[in-house]
Formats: sequence, structure tokens, C-alpha cells
Amino acid sequence: MRSRYDVIVVGGGHAGAEAAAASARAGVRTLLLTPDLGRVGQMSCNPAVGGVAKGVVAREVDALGGVMGRATDASRIQFRMLNRSKGPAVWGPRAQCDRAMYPVAVRAILDELPMLDLFQEMVDDVLIDGGRVAGVRTRGGMNLEAGAVVVTTGTFLRGRIHIGGEAGLSAGRAGEAPSVALAEGLERAGLKVARFKTGTPPRIDGRTVDFSRTERQDGDEMEYRFAAYCDEVIPAQRPCWITWAGDGLKQVVRANLRRSALYGGEIAGRGPRYCPSIEDKIVRFPDAPRHQVFLEPEGLRTTELYVNGLSTSLPADTQLEFLRTVPGLEDVMMTKVGYAIEYDYFPPHQLRHTLEVRGVPGLFFAGQINGTTGYEEAAGQGIVAGINAALKVRGEDPFVLERDQAYIGVLIDDLVTRGVDEPYRLFTSRAEFRLLLRQDNAHRRLGPLARDRGLLTDEQGVRLADRLEAEDRVLVWFEETVVTPEVAAPVLADAGSSELSEPTRAIELLRRPRVGAADVLRAARPEGGDVPRADVLATVEVELKYSGYVARERARADRLRSQADFALSRDLPYEGFRTLSFEAREKLAQVRPGTLAQAGRIPGVSPADLQNLVLEVRRLAGATSFVPSGADG
Amino acid sequence: MMTDVDTIAALSTVPGLSAVAVIRISGPGAASVLSSLLPLGCALPEERRATLVELRDPDDGSTLDRALVTRFAAPASYTGEDMVELSCHGGWIVPGLVLDACRRAGAREAEAGEFTRRAYLRGKLDLAQAEAIADVIEARSRALHRAAVHQMDRGLSDRIADLRARVVRVEALLAHHVDFPEEDDAPVPLDTVAAEARGLWRETDAMLATAPEGELLREGAVAVLAGRPNAGKSSLYNALLGEERAIVTEEPGTTRDALIASVELGGFPFRLVDTAGLRGDPGRVEALGIEVARRWLEAADVVLFCVPAQEGLTEEDEAFLSEVRGAPVVLIETKADLASDGSPAGRGAHAAVADKLRVSVRTGEGLGVLRERVRSLVYGRVLGAGVDVPVLTRRRHADALRVARTELGVFCEALMSGVPAEMAATHLRLAESALEEVVGVVVADDVLDVVFREFCVGK
Repeated sequence: MRSRYDVIVVGGGHAGAEAAAASARAGVRTLLLTPDLGRVGQMSCNPAVGGVAKGVVAREVDALGGVMGRATDASRIQFRMLNRSKGPAVWGPRAQCDRAMYPVAVRAILDELPMLDLFQEMVDDVLIDGGRVAGVRTRGGMNLEAGAVVVTTGTFLRGRIHIGGEAGLSAGRAGEAPSVALAEGLERAGLKVARFKTGTPPRIDGRTVDFSRTERQDGDEMEYRFAAYCDEVIPAQRPCWITWAGDGLKQVVRANLRRSALYGGEIAGRGPRYCPSIEDKIVRFPDAPRHQVFLEPEGLRTTELYVNGLSTSLPADTQLEFLRTVPGLEDVMMTKVGYAIEYDYFPPHQLRHTLEVRGVPGLFFAGQINGTTGYEEAAGQGIVAGINAALKVRGEDPFVLERDQAYIGVLIDDLVTRGVDEPYRLFTSRAEFRLLLRQDNAHRRLGPLARDRGLLTDEQGVRLADRLEAEDRVLVWFEETVVTPEVAAPVLADAGSSELSEPTRAIELLRRPRVGAADVLRAARPEGGDVPRADVLATVEVELKYSGYVARERARADRLRSQADFALSRDLPYEGFRTLSFEAREKLAQVRPGTLAQAGRIPGVSPADLQNLVLEVRRLAGATSFVPSGADG
Repeated sequence: MMTDVDTIAALSTVPGLSAVAVIRISGPGAASVLSSLLPLGCALPEERRATLVELRDPDDGSTLDRALVTRFAAPASYTGEDMVELSCHGGWIVPGLVLDACRRAGAREAEAGEFTRRAYLRGKLDLAQAEAIADVIEARSRALHRAAVHQMDRGLSDRIADLRARVVRVEALLAHHVDFPEEDDAPVPLDTVAAEARGLWRETDAMLATAPEGELLREGAVAVLAGRPNAGKSSLYNALLGEERAIVTEEPGTTRDALIASVELGGFPFRLVDTAGLRGDPGRVEALGIEVARRWLEAADVVLFCVPAQEGLTEEDEAFLSEVRGAPVVLIETKADLASDGSPAGRGAHAAVADKLRVSVRTGEGLGVLRERVRSLVYGRVLGAGVDVPVLTRRRHADALRVARTELGVFCEALMSGVPAEMAATHLRLAESALEEVVGVVVADDVLDVVFREFCVGK
């Protein structure tokens, strides 16, 4: 280890790993510090990556050259494409991973990076000199210098674990020490802090489960990879199991509600509404007859199962009691208890879109510390923070993804301009332009951006170019090929679509319902020819089949962008904009949006305020003799 | 503190001889302007209480008038700013002196529509309400007045807000469908979603039903009196005007061949056009007049085709009637007092004729029925709509609602024909933006300029 780095990343979770890797790939000297190097890339909650919207983020991180896609492919033991019955724009790839293999894969990918050093040490303070970041001080008292510091401490800041109604235990994760000194240090730097909570369910011993009383759920047999630039070896696949918690469990939970940390008044922080504990589910939806429970394998070489759906902070004996009311779990043995954890986060309106802390140049935050939940959300922030930390050190323009470019852009813009009042999770409905932000086109959207910023290796760059070229070839084929009614007949018959009356372009054929790209290709080229890869075809199919919709959404995005382009300088005298409501002035002064569109997304800023803002800014710009005056108070 | 907003003043009543004139002052300096007009040492009147004060010249202290003053503090005022309303004496001198004094005390003369523009920008009104205020003031018919008052009271705005909220709800149903594929609750079936959207389509469509007539409420429907020479057109024209003289104004631009006047018939606005007599073999000058008449017939919302009762329709009349496109025709048998009995001497009805009735200008026979018929022919849908149904009086509103209706329709079709929900939802978002346009959620500056240009100074 050196005593001086360009970028130091504090924390080795999903945000930290991506931040460190991105910074190193950007070509600057990078150090990752974490209290336990054995746990870099640890999955502290559910051993799964992806899902609706989140799966797209995993693909976006990968397209930017990140770690997550590769580590997922290398450790996944079940793959499912969620929302497959719906349109391809909202398909959500989801992988169950081997909890032990995932961090091993992450570590292997980090070890490939020559510009990255790893060191096992807790960080107690961020050093600030003359208002900007100077480095960090470790628990052992070492001062390490850095041009930029990325803090990704997850739930470790003053973390407090609750199992049952007792006072709680200081911890960052079960069995790991929290970071108290660092939290205090950051608070001293003038940052506002708030508290959230989240929880995990118990784990159980698979040998004590009667699977005959549960429903087996196998993965999709689908050729699919998260990683676009690298073919990892995908492990053997495993099923999940579904069962249902009913009245028996309800009774146990109700009878013990007062012993729950969540309901016994021990926890003050807010938790996510859409990832509720079983206590929450039963209190808030008393009429729901039953709740779905997924038994998910923790790995290939363990019988341990993750009980997804029964997150809780009830005492251990109650957990065992309610588990045993669930069909299939009558004789179950618990291997780990579920718990709730409360932790500090820094309300993210204190950040810029680069994830740099306002007012502390060189200090970046990423992941749960910003009030989000989920590995994917953490990874997405981590990669953006890591890239920007490196760019900052090199004195280059910042890297900011827009809302119509990536879910990561939506995520960060939501955090920075709206702030959070519960742990933030991505949904497709948070994106105004979700037809553009698909899992199948992440590399098309972001690959070239990453390549231009030097974030891809030469080899990855070649893979990207090949893939885009292959897609373009098929796109052109569909645009230019004319299909005769005779050739189209069998395809249309299969799709239950009416016959053609005259030769028609292949793309028109594809736009019909239930007609697939592969079908058209096969019919039009019976001799075979060079068959495009399934993933290439999938991207082209969505792109063409729904091009009308995609174009409409693109047009809407462009229209809003022209409004978004109405730039607001960061130093506008909002306090003096008296045509705006008091609340709007206060919020605007706090957030200091860069564009009108951002201003419009701030809660409390009304349409009338926006209109006034435009006029105030124009007035300000046009005023030739703009003199401050105290005359009218 | 920076002075971003100045203080404006304007005469709100018509200049000229009148007992009282109202001057309004709005802006952060409203109270200080008033204070400069009060005698030295005189305290500002209490807020929201009409107070009799003496107005003095701010420079030489000479007495200008005695006035009733009401002071409003922001944001509880029309504009949302500090405001002062002065009721001084009217006439040629006083209002001008007081306004000039206001100017010297720091207020500037308001621009056209500036009070209402400020109210809009302060969020006191939305765009539809602001437009309604212009209509309330400028209405030349009781019908437009009624529609405008309803719109000013948020009748249209609430309806639009409700529609928009329900479109968002449909979108939310889809979001649940898309974002939570593995939840306990089964997603809402797509045909339920489509049914909701279809309901919204129907409501939007119903609102649009009155739009063409609603737009006529602003300018007045064109009612063209036509017929061969000496068929009694001009007498009827004068008779219809004469009864409503009080609210009739002669319009400028009247050609020598067609007379136009605004008139209210049964509470609804019309532009009554008297044209040159139509005949087959006219002289050159007359032919020009007939050409003008033909053009008016094309633009007509309703045609009052006159024939003398004792003569009935001629072949020539029928030839002219065939040229009428679209507008309903009322066949009027004039000079009923001269006809012997009920049956006309000439030909019977013609295909274009929607209604037929007898009128005598001399006895007044049939005039009441005529007004009633013409009103229902042109404004039947507005008359039939319930009192609480907003009438769309502006093309801007109707255009936006048409976009919303189209997008809702396409959404349903798309969803039912198997287009994926998240694709189809694009149409919902477009429908929302269209609805937002009506009430003015972030509109371009030039749209605002157009909207507020319609106001004259002081409103």
C-alpha cells in the first residue's frame, strides 16, 4: 500500500466494489479500504441480483464495464426473466446467486485491475483540508492522502441490529462492527444525517424442509447473460420453492407483536413500504388470506435456504414458532435469525448529480449511505461515483447519465432532486421513458459512452463493436428485405394474422402481433445463412417491433429535454424571487437544480412556481441595471 | 432584498363621466403608494375594511378627492400580492389625477391584463380561470356569461383535474401490473384497465360535444338572412334587432351589401347578417352584392331564408337553397298578415329546410317562436347540457381535449389488441399532458402572452 492515492474508496460492498473498479479502470491509482477483505461484494440480504427495473440496472452497470454482471453470471444458480408475459420493455432478468461464489467472483474481477489496491482496515475519519477532501484516517491511525474519497459504508454507519424487543446491538451487519467514528466525522463536516431501517428474514436448514408440501419453481431455460463483454462459466442450476404463510403464522405474529422491535417502539427510522416485514404485512393488510414465501437456495454446496417474504424483527423463539406454521416447514430448523437494522444515511439532496457532496469537493457518497436499498441501486451509484471521482482527479468533465439514458440516471436524479423519505428502490414507473430503458439495449445505450470515457478495455471495446455491428446488420436486413406473400404465409398463419396481398418489407411483417424476428428470418432465408445470436435478435426485435412507440417516447423525451435545457445557474438568488412561494424558494435554494426540468421534480415546487422561475431568470438575465435595494424590505 | 416585482396601478372602470371610479394598485409597494397619498400622519387603513380617506397629492399636499379605500395583504388578494382598491369619484379629472399621484408615489401603469397575469403567476388562478375572467367581463350574451362564471368557479378546472387524476390512476393500475409481478395480489386484469380508460374516453367525448357551439358563444353564431329581393329580410332584421336594442352594437366593416349586427336571441349571441336579395339575372352592381351574400351563406351557422307568405318558394329560391352547405335553414314565410290562410301559394318544403314558420313584422306574429327556433338549432347541445357541465368556449381547450380523447381511444385499442401494457401507457402520458395544457401547467411564455393579451388594462 502507498501513502497517497488518486482515489480512496471506503467500503467494499456493491457500491464500493463498483466505485473502486470504475476508478481503477479509468486509469487512476485507487485504494479500496474495508474492515474485512473476505467480504468484498458480500450479499448481506437476499442472494439474488436483478428483478423488474433492478435487472436493467445490473445490465447498465455491466454495459459501463462494471463488476456486477460478470459476478452474477459466474455465481448464478437460477435465472428467471420476470414479466415475460408482458412487453419486452419491462422484462426483468433476475438471478439467484450462490452466496459464497458471488464475492469470490467480485474479488477475482477486482484482482484483474492493476491500478487497484485493496487493504483491510476500518476508516475512522475523512480528512478535509481547506474545505476539500485530503484523504482518510484509519482505525490504526494511518493518514492516507487522496485526491478524492468515495464513501460507501452501507448500513454500517452507527448501525444497530434489533432482534426482538431488546435495546438493540451495535453492528453494521450481523456479527460485524459498525462505523461510529466515521459517522461522527462526517457529521462534523456539516452533513445532515437521518435514520432508516431495513430487515432480513431468517435462514433455515434445507434438510429439515418437507419439499413435497411446497411448489417447485425452476428457472427459465433461456440463453441469457448479464455480462455483455465477457462469457463467464455459468454454474449448475437449482430450483426455488414456493409456499404460503396463512392463519397459523398470523396468530403467532399477532400474539407476539409487542415483542417486535418494529412494533415495540425500539426503532424510530423509516423502512421501505414495498419490502415490508411480516409484522408490517399482517398489521397493514389484516384481510389478506395468505402471504407468498419463497425458499431460495443460498448456494450450490449448502442446504441453507433464504426465507424470502418473512423479513422480521421478532425474537428468535417467535421466528421459529411462526416458521413452523408454514406448510413444508413444520419441523424446520433455523440456521440464522432474521433481524431489523437501523442505520444512518445522509439525505441525498446534499449531493450533486456526480454524487459528489455539495460543499466538500472531492468527497463522494454511493449506495445505502444515500438512502437507497438494493445491490443494484448501490452498484449503479458506485460506478457513477467511482467514474466521477477519477474524472475529478484528472480534471475532466463529469459523467452524468440523464433520465432518458439510464435507470441509473433516473435513480440519481430522484435522489438528488427529490430526496428520499423511505429507503429508495427503483421501479419501471419511476422512469418517464421506460420504453427506451430496456435490459436488452443497455450496451447500446451506455457501451459507447463508457468506451469514449476510456472505461472499457480494448477487448471489451471490440466485443461492443461486434455486438452493435451484428445488431445493425439485422436491423438493416429487416428494413431492406421485401417478403413475398407466399414466403410470409406460414409465419402469418402461425401467428393467426391475415395474409399479405402484396410483397411487404420484413419490418412491417415483424410489427404484426405475435410475429417473431426469428420466424421472419427463417421463412425469408430457408437456406439458413449466418444466423444472428439470440440476444442480438432479441434486441433487434424489440427495437423494430415497437419502433412506433419507442419513437414516440423518444420524441417526448426530446421535447422535455428542450425544456430541461432551460439552464438554471447554481447561484441564483432564490431568496429574492418573491414571485415564488416561500416553500418553493426554500426548496430551490436547498437543491439548486441545474435545469428547469429538475426544478419541476422537486416536491413543493408548483407549476405556477416554475412559470415564475422562468420569468425571474429571464428578468435577471435581461436586467441591465440590476441593483440590490433595501427600500421595500 | 432585491426588487424583482414592481408595483402597478390602473383604472379599473371605464374612463368618462361616472359617479365612482375604481383604481387598483398591486405589488409589494401598494401600501407605501397609498401611504404617500394620505395626509401626513394619517395611519394606513385597517386591512380588508373599507375606510373613507382623504387623498392628497404626494408632492404638494393638495387635496385630490375623498375616497373609499380597501387594503388587502398578500397573499389574500386578487393578484396574490399586496393590493389597494381606491373608489374615488369618476369623471374626467379625478381618476387621472389620482393615477398620476400613484405613479409619482412609485407605481407604474399596469399593462393589459397584468393584474390577472400576476394572479395566474402567483397561483391564485389557473389558466382556464384567467381566461374565464376575460370572458365574464367581455361577455355579450347571458349564455357566455353563464359558461364563463362556471369556468371562473373552477368548473372546467376541477373537471380537468378530475379527469387527469383518473388517467393517472389507470396508469397506476398498469404500474402495479408491471412493477410487482411476484406479489400476493393478482394484477388488475387488462380489460378492467381498458374499461376504466374507455369510461374516461366517453367523458372526454361528452365534454367535447358542446365545443363547436361553445366557441360560437364567444363571437356569436352567424345567422344569415337571405332570400329574393323584397322578401322582407330587412324588416325582419330590424325587428330582431329592435327588440334587443340595448345590447346591440353595429360592427365596423359592414359592407354596403351586407349589414352585420351583434344581437342576443333568447340569451345566446348571434351575428345577424342582412344580405342582398338573391336573384338569377342581376345587373352588375347587384351581382357583386349577391356574391357577398353567397360567401355569407357559406360561413353561416344558420340561414333564415325569407319568402313572402303569399308567394312561397320559387324555383330560383330552391336553386339558392341548394348552395347552402351544412348550416340548418329556417324557411320564414314573411308578411304573414298579408297572406289569406295557412298554406303558401308557391312550392312546399325543400330538403335543406330544417324548420318552417310564419312571421309578421307588423303584428309581431311568430317572432318569439323564430328566436326560440334559431337558438335551439344553433345552441341545442349547450341548452341540453346540465347546468354544471363545463362548456368549452375556447378552441385552445377543445384542441387539448381532442388530443386527450384521441390518446385515450388509441390506448384502449392498443391494450386490447395485445400491445404490451407499458407501450400502451405512452398514450396515457400524452393524454395527461394534453389535459395539463388546459389549466396551464408549465406553458410557453408566448402562449401566456396570447392568453393575457385579450385583457384590456386594469383587469
